[in-house]
Amino acid sequence: MTAYLVNLATLATIFGLLAASLNLLIGYAGIFSMAHAVFFGLGAYAGAQVALQLVPDVLLACLVGGLVAGVLSLCLALPALRVRGEYFVAASLGLQMMAVTVFSEAGAVTGGHGGLVGIPPASLLGLDLSNPRFFLLACVILLVLVLLAIRGLMHGSFGRGLMAIRDSESAAEAFGKDVRALKTLAVALGCALAGVAGALFAFYMAFINVESFTLEQSIVLVAMVAIGGAGTLLGPLLGVLLLLLLPAGLSFLPFIPATQIGTAQQLIYGLAMTLLMIFRPAGIVGQAGERR
Amino acid sequence: MATIPLSVRGLDKRFGGIAAVQQVDLDLREGVTTALVGPNGAGKTTLFNLITGNIPPDAGQVLLDGKPIRGLPPHRIARLGVARSFQDLRLFGRMSVRDNIRAALEHDAWFWQPGGRSAKLARERAVDSALDRTGLTELAEARAADLAYAERKFLSVARILATGSRIWLLDEPASGLDPHSRARFVQLVREAVADGVTICLIEHNLDIVTELADRIAFLDRGAKLAEGEPQEILRDPELIGIYFGEGRA
Repeated sequence: MTAYLVNLATLATIFGLLAASLNLLIGYAGIFSMAHAVFFGLGAYAGAQVALQLVPDVLLACLVGGLVAGVLSLCLALPALRVRGEYFVAASLGLQMMAVTVFSEAGAVTGGHGGLVGIPPASLLGLDLSNPRFFLLACVILLVLVLLAIRGLMHGSFGRGLMAIRDSESAAEAFGKDVRALKTLAVALGCALAGVAGALFAFYMAFINVESFTLEQSIVLVAMVAIGGAGTLLGPLLGVLLLLLLPAGLSFLPFIPATQIGTAQQLIYGLAMTLLMIFRPAGIVGQAGERR
Repeated sequence: MATIPLSVRGLDKRFGGIAAVQQVDLDLREGVTTALVGPNGAGKTTLFNLITGNIPPDAGQVLLDGKPIRGLPPHRIARLGVARSFQDLRLFGRMSVRDNIRAALEHDAWFWQPGGRSAKLARERAVDSALDRTGLTELAEARAADLAYAERKFLSVARILATGSRIWLLDEPASGLDPHSRARFVQLVREAVADGVTICLIEHNLDIVTELADRIAFLDRGAKLAEGEPQEILRDPELIGIYFGEGRA
């Protein structure tokens, strides 16, 4: 039972980091990306390659994963600078679809459909993290540090700049904001953090393949942020907890047969999303937007 | 003779077959309030958008202190001291009143602003002063989206006031204000002009125009038909006919 809880907690922490990184884009900068799983995947593949080819150091793998995802985030930043709203959503969907094809076909780097197997247990500057509890502790510490950093940034001029763009891009420009620079930085930061989460995910799972980085994953991530409350620090974490714990919680309900849990989960997800968007469109933690 | 910090020469803009702005020349004189008056669709807001770089002109030039600024992006023009408001206000709705004003002062896109603590203190003083002058101090921590209409209008002015910009382009700043708020707004603009600010405003309320404007430029169908003292323009029966939709072919 403890191992099961540690497993859930570790996944919740990694996905918490991932949701917090997407929240930078959607919640603070108003960049509605449907391709976040791509950068999660890039970080995971890069981190896994570091562990497989060089050394299974989690810090190095996270740095490389974050760097690769951050640099390649330009693929997302370019459309974000040119188009907005539903046009950007469509552009990011295209990027997501292309990336899945690349992940599936670039076998030399990603292992193709079979993925990368045998990723060694993590270490941290020589300390062995193969014990799941130590790995969980490292993930929790990282998540707390990242959340503190995001909180600091969002209470400062950078955060105000992003939120100004989110609320009115033309007004932000009229007050001297370099929208292109701010958006590019936000995308790079959000995607780099997704890459870090990907590297942690690769270590934790010891096996990764394209199935973890599909459009479905991107949609679930958006749902986590939207349900919890986009643009709030803790909302996305709450969304992660709800969506990760839901299947676990359902498995304890005696009247749902084990074979039907997947179906029940989909129904409950759908219903919860619909009701939430009707009654609390800003998410559980979020505040409603402007009065119309 | 007053200096002319901002002027436009032969500005032209077409949207498809429609001439939104045609060969407009305009001088904004230092410490002078110029009102752009004209019926709906005259091209007044388009002229603001051309000056601030929001849309590129097809022809003509915008000169700031005699130097061409056509082609500069809006944020660069704003940093040169040209501030504007919008008809629909475009507040940063989910941010607090104080943060709306702070955001208007922070130009650097990096993770922090240059100048360290002293620059930060100077910005905070400017924010406090703008809050005080617009009567929003008590509401500083309220969300912009939760403000009443008049307060939202004053916040849109407070953002401009705090920037210390020397040229203000105000798009219908007093529309919908109650008489008391309107009087406060007029006082605010007069104080700014006394401080040497150059103001160009678009306003449909001719009482406000009479109260505030030193000069009027009359636009119709994108062209400037006349420019002069308010009493001269507002007593021209032909222009008044056009304004009220009577004199057009």
